[in-house]
Amino acid sequence: MNRVLSLIGAPILNLALESGRIFLLLIDSILWIFRPPFRWKLLIKQMEFIGANSISVIILTGTFTGMVFAFQSYIGFHKFGAEYMVGTVVGLGMARELGPVLSAIMVAARAGSAITAEIGTMKVTEQIDALHSLAVDPVQYLVTPRILAGLLVMPLLNSIAVFCGVVGGYFVGVKILDINRTLYLQYMYQYVDLSDLYNGMIKSVVFGLILTLIGCYKGMAVSGGAEGVGRSTTESVVLSCILILVFDYILTAFMF
Amino acid sequence: MENIIIEMKNVHKSFGKHQVHKGINIKVPQGGITVILGPSGTGKSVLLKEMMGLLMPEKGEVIVDGVDITKISKVELVNIRKKFGMLFQNAALFDSMTVYDNVAFPLREHTKLKEKQIREIVLEKLRLVGLKDVENKMPSELSGGMRKRVGLARAIVLEPKIILYDEPTTGLDPIMRDVVDDLIYNTQKQLNITSVVISHDIDSAFKIADYMAMIYDGVTVLNDTKENFKNSDNPYVRQFINGSKDGPIKMF
Ligand SMILES: Nc1ncnc2c1ncn2[C@@H]1O[C@H](COP(=O)(O)OP(=O)(O)O)[C@@H](O)[C@H]1O
Ligand SMILES: [Mg+2]
Repeated sequence: MNRVLSLIGAPILNLALESGRIFLLLIDSILWIFRPPFRWKLLIKQMEFIGANSISVIILTGTFTGMVFAFQSYIGFHKFGAEYMVGTVVGLGMARELGPVLSAIMVAARAGSAITAEIGTMKVTEQIDALHSLAVDPVQYLVTPRILAGLLVMPLLNSIAVFCGVVGGYFVGVKILDINRTLYLQYMYQYVDLSDLYNGMIKSVVFGLILTLIGCYKGMAVSGGAEGVGRSTTESVVLSCILILVFDYILTAFMF
Repeated sequence: MENIIIEMKNVHKSFGKHQVHKGINIKVPQGGITVILGPSGTGKSVLLKEMMGLLMPEKGEVIVDGVDITKISKVELVNIRKKFGMLFQNAALFDSMTVYDNVAFPLREHTKLKEKQIREIVLEKLRLVGLKDVENKMPSELSGGMRKRVGLARAIVLEPKIILYDEPTTGLDPIMRDVVDDLIYNTQKQLNITSVVISHDIDSAFKIADYMAMIYDGVTVLNDTKENFKNSDNPYVRQFINGSKDGPIKMF
């Protein structure tokens, strides 16, 4: 009986403990946003790393997703002769859902993992201790700039993804599948609102927070040498992606 | 006895099931060099980290300048740490920064000096540790001994009240060892600060120490002045001084 209870209890306890720690790190890093010294240089560097260096990946992801989405939705609409609705669906889908989620997952894989690996390496080589010893708070120095960069940069990446997706969808719909160009654009303008874009933007701000926070948390939590860094990096990407999908549902339900 | 600046009282520390400290008692008098000896793996590095609150013991007190640092807030702890400089055993240089930026880091963080003054101080400290023309290199391009000396320069650059050295001469050639010993000795004498040095090297320990301590198997074997330490008939101390494999210290 005891064993059964502990089998159920241990993971739940772990989950509670881990969420608590992640939450504390979040509070701590947010408080540092408002307390000097402000680390502009580090912020810019992180925005470049998380944002600028992700642009090519985001362009590819957005374009191909839009193009595939146009093909797939064409099949459905073709059955009742409403092919011109493809543009609307691609626009809505990219803006509200696919843009934010796919760009966040790509950035989690690219930058989130790198954040964990970098901070984790600093942890196991005692560079975090060295920061402490020099009376510099590692959260303020390492975590806050990354989280802030994530918050600021993700919406921009998202807009790139949405734009590329819409262009890709147009290319497939109008150029390849020969949908009437005027109708395609007219319906898209008519049914895709600015509010759909806002909706996606809010999501991508939250996702940007998630992937940088988890990246930093998993990095700070590394123990056990190079092997530990590898393990945490994997965990970081998996956990970020799961949380992105879970929060995607929560946000969608709330903003429905 | 003199003014005690760091005192560890009955300190216990374990990692999981592994008990590293089972009752450490050490007094570090102000304005001298205390050398701490002990075989590898007895928790000397852990001890040094406990002195500045990088690791917290489960039980016991660590009193720095009259304050028990195991019982204070994070903000107070950060202020206490400003009194310290530390050389880590593996140097712990920031590997994303050049040598110059590593040594300049404490100055940029905690002083309002102009870049020109910072440059003078950094180059001076690098020269003191016997390094020239390395300031634009990355830490990964340096040898172990050079990294250690950069770490040393970073630890002393703010001229803190207390400097902790974790095996400063391990891995250096004999000449460089003498240079670093002299540097530790002179830094302490000129600035009248407090230094704590962890060492394996019994000769250099006797050369620079004012006070000595030996830890073994999680407890303090002896903590006394250099003279008393030298003449102690404690079998652990005698074995370590004589460098013999026979005696109460078991390596297997
Ligand atoms: N952060 C840590 N996590 C787990 N074990 C540790 C940690 N730091 C040190 N230890 C363990 O504590 C013991 C003492 O380590 P250390 O202080 O480095 O020894 P010394 O410096 O005397 O050679 C070792 O067995 C080491 O494995
Ligand atoms: Mg050690």
